[in-house]
Amino acid sequence: MAAEISDRVREIAEARGLPESEVFERALERGLEGLWEDLVLTRYFDGELDREEAIERVGRTKVERAERERELVEEDVDWGLNA
Amino acid sequence: MTLAAVSDAGPLIHLAEIDSLELFATFDTLFVPETVYKEVDASGVPDGLADLSYELVEADESRVGTEELDAGERAAIAVAEDRGVVLLTDDLAAREAASDAGVEVRGSIGIIALGYGREFLDRDDAASRMRALQRETSLFVTEAVVERGIRILDER
Repeated sequence: MAAEISDRVREIAEARGLPESEVFERALERGLEGLWEDLVLTRYFDGELDREEAIERVGRTKVERAERERELVEEDVDWGLNA
Repeated sequence: MTLAAVSDAGPLIHLAEIDSLELFATFDTLFVPETVYKEVDASGVPDGLADLSYELVEADESRVGTEELDAGERAAIAVAEDRGVVLLTDDLAAREAASDAGVEVRGSIGIIALGYGREFLDRDDAASRMRALQRETSLFVTEAVVERGIRILDER
């Protein structure tokens, strides 16, 4: 995995004309953004954040998508446990 | 209760990615449309598919007139309608089109929950596979949503 990451960083850096350090920085930013969104949505689903606060932090589109996913997952798990 | 289903490519690919194709054995009957098999075959038939018991079926996907769906999704919906079986898909648009047609639809997370419900898996294994589905496969689902699904398992 480490070798694969190094290879990818090198390839992205070459293709984009960037230093490898900047590729790492961008990867960290993107990864952190995803982790942050997951944390906000978890807190919203757990009732620690209200809907408007969640929308303010990650945007309406992501909150609405997560709500739709939650509805489907809840239906699917209920079905699986009772089928 | 006897349970029959037809799968499009999504759950076959996603469950193969976490070495969980055996969970399809929780269904008493599984149909795979030929169009879907060809889609899966195009990226290499996953290990484990040959060990599954399923019936390869022809389907007239042209009568499912939703242009935003691919041929495999349309074929699977046609089979589900014709045979009155559950459609297995992870595609939101396919799910909505099938629901609108009165077809019962479930996704890969539902298949894992079914494995737990039918005692093929224990709670920890089911939870671990749900998390793997979110972290290790090409399926897009929010982590918080998967954790919500695991919590429902625990509330059982």
